[in-house]
Amino acid sequence: MAALTFSPDERAQMAAIAHLRWRIFVNSLRSLRGRLEVVSRVFTALAFGVIGIGGMVGIGVASYFLVSRGNSEWLALPLWSVLFFWQLFPLLASAYAENFDLTNLLRFPLRYRSYFLVRLVHGSLDVGTAIGILWLLGMVAGIGCADPALLPWAVVVCVGFALMNVLLARMIFAWIERWLARRRTREVIGILFFLIIIGFQFIGPLLEHFRGRRAPVAIEGATRLLPLERVLPPGAAASAIAGAHHAQILWGAAGFALLCGYCALFAWILNLRVRAQFRGESLGESSAPSQTATRKGEIERGWKLPGVSPPVAAVFEKEIRYFLRSGPMLFTVLMPLVVLLIFRFTPGNPRHGSGSFLGSAAGLAFPAAAAYAILILTNFVGNNLGPDGGGVQFFFASPARFRSVMMGKNLAHAAVIAMELLLVWGAACLIFGMPSLPITIATLAGALFAVPLNFAVGNLLSLFAPKKIDFGAFGKQKPPSTTQFASLAGQVVLFGLAAIAFLIGRHSAGMWVTTAILLALAAVAFGVYAAMLNRAERVALDRREALLAELCKA
Amino acid sequence: MADFAVATEGLTRRFGELTAVQDVNLRVSPGQFFGFLGPNGAGKSTTIKMLTGLLAPTSGRIEILGLDLVANPVEVKRQIGVVPEGMALFGRLTGSEYLNFAGRMYGLSRETTAQRAAELLEFMQLADRPKTLITDYSHGMQKKLALAAAVIHGPRVLFLDEPFEGVDAIASGLLKTMLQRMISRGATIFLTSHVLEIVERLCSHVAIIHRGRLVAEGSLEELRAGIEAQAPEIAAGSAVASEKLTLEQIFLRIIGETPMADQELSWLR
Repeated sequence: MAALTFSPDERAQMAAIAHLRWRIFVNSLRSLRGRLEVVSRVFTALAFGVIGIGGMVGIGVASYFLVSRGNSEWLALPLWSVLFFWQLFPLLASAYAENFDLTNLLRFPLRYRSYFLVRLVHGSLDVGTAIGILWLLGMVAGIGCADPALLPWAVVVCVGFALMNVLLARMIFAWIERWLARRRTREVIGILFFLIIIGFQFIGPLLEHFRGRRAPVAIEGATRLLPLERVLPPGAAASAIAGAHHAQILWGAAGFALLCGYCALFAWILNLRVRAQFRGESLGESSAPSQTATRKGEIERGWKLPGVSPPVAAVFEKEIRYFLRSGPMLFTVLMPLVVLLIFRFTPGNPRHGSGSFLGSAAGLAFPAAAAYAILILTNFVGNNLGPDGGGVQFFFASPARFRSVMMGKNLAHAAVIAMELLLVWGAACLIFGMPSLPITIATLAGALFAVPLNFAVGNLLSLFAPKKIDFGAFGKQKPPSTTQFASLAGQVVLFGLAAIAFLIGRHSAGMWVTTAILLALAAVAFGVYAAMLNRAERVALDRREALLAELCKA
Repeated sequence: MADFAVATEGLTRRFGELTAVQDVNLRVSPGQFFGFLGPNGAGKSTTIKMLTGLLAPTSGRIEILGLDLVANPVEVKRQIGVVPEGMALFGRLTGSEYLNFAGRMYGLSRETTAQRAAELLEFMQLADRPKTLITDYSHGMQKKLALAAAVIHGPRVLFLDEPFEGVDAIASGLLKTMLQRMISRGATIFLTSHVLEIVERLCSHVAIIHRGRLVAEGSLEELRAGIEAQAPEIAAGSAVASEKLTLEQIFLRIIGETPMADQELSWLR
């Protein structure tokens, strides 16, 4: 019993940790950004509240009907939905969540059990847990209404199920943290993770695609494996309740024992990680194996770009190297291709007699994908100093003009967009057939209009609203909300004008008129870009203090 | 002011109500190894940021090698090298890529940059990890790389903000060797450091800033003589009569603070 109680010292430590978190939150309100963050969280909480309460009612009603009709073993279905949400939601949201490194607490004389408890509780204070608990409350209420005698046992089982979820989620996070401690692994897992997320996008279209056909053998095989579900945690919890409901005490007890076994197993695996941390394991990069020595004079020369000054070429090379080393950026390049595939597999309007979402307008696949490519890359254009972080000091300390720095960055982004356009054109040709020459040329003219304007606006936004971002970590490229808003407004105007030009061409005079309109707009856009580039020098100097303060902070 | 490598006149910087640097008049001659000292928050980093163009002064003038920094920022920056407080590195480049980048930003040809980068990496003992990204370097390695980037173009004036902070003895020895070579080639070095022993060993001239104001400037001997003239009992109080006052003693005396050896904490009695 003594092991389950905490001494006054331990309680004081835990109170101090809770107070620390509270002070960090209160102090974050001192800045405007912190206050805006709280406002946005209130709105997010409202949205999640709807999901939580809606799910709670839904699961409650479902549980009521399942129990009242004697199908309590089917409670496994809502329990699976609770488990999926509980485990997957924190993974999806973690990239945007504020992290507090609890290993910082290890320098204090904290006992292991206190540290374990702090990790367990601290990590569980998230939306996933709150919604999961709400849904389980709904289930308990539904069961209680259907069979009041079953209520106490349902409460016990649901508490066990909640504990299992908490332990499983913490266990997964602790091990992911272990694997992600190395940058390279982090990037590889990040790419895999996002590929899986993309994979989810194809489930609907693929199901639609195979509708009416014979289910593949793999699906049949999976159906045969369903009985195994009963030994997994939701199945075990459902068995525990169903056993009590059908007065089969042994079955119910076995289900509950299995659930407790899962709790013990996950707690033990979590304990392995937490104990290693507690003992002071180091997961830094310093232990990475050293690489082979280079011979003197083996260093490659920098890239040479014809007609471009050395500083512009140097910045261009640096930007391209950053791009090639950034999993998220490379992933971004793939996204328009994925969108084309989704368009291909998403069924269209049957009245048009076309198999795909774009229907009779398949020729617009290339312009649509090109527009999307430009749209997503502008996220990075609008905060182009963010990835440099403290390195931005170098630009101010070097004799290169800021105009050259911006030009080098814009050239690199232009090269990426050009490559992207080539890729989406190739993909559109393969998936939808080659777009007509007038549409291809009009699209390129549209890009000539949209890209320089995006660069002009992006350069100014980068100077006025910079935010330090990590190019290598997924979810850490989000530009500031002001940039997102301004960028969105800009895109509405740009794409609105381009769409009007396309509509004029498509419904009256032909695509060549569209091209002419877009080229005229492109000429204006280049003028605006040149003017903005010249202004960048002055703005950068005037704003250097704010820039350095924002980008050099730890 | 034209004869000095670094000169300021009435240099002042305010942040709202706070005056971080007030009316600083500095004179650093060419070829000097100049130590710029001060307690935490005295205004050292603010001053060095203003001298290198990273921060605009509220008022006052800065001349580097006879050139007005505000009027000729590009020409001045071509002739100086800087290791700022945060080192200004690009974490997702390798060491050689960063040096290549830095050299060309300073206007060196690709060939010269590549050759110097190779030599610098070798000298700094960074050549054995060619594929490692800077973000994965240790703190000491990053300091060495930042210094390599600051000197790749052969600057005539080098500004170093705490170059020895967090650097081990081996790396520190390398940095000192490199800096002394630069001095012997006629370069001027302007350095801030909290490690007074290093400053005492390396620097020929020292300035001390306290609460934003320049409170002392001169060679070590001049500062020592000044202290001894003001308070002969301090010199007489040295354990050995022939023992000179250390820079630490001079520093503490000038800023008017003494280590509170006699003050006790209630729970440590």
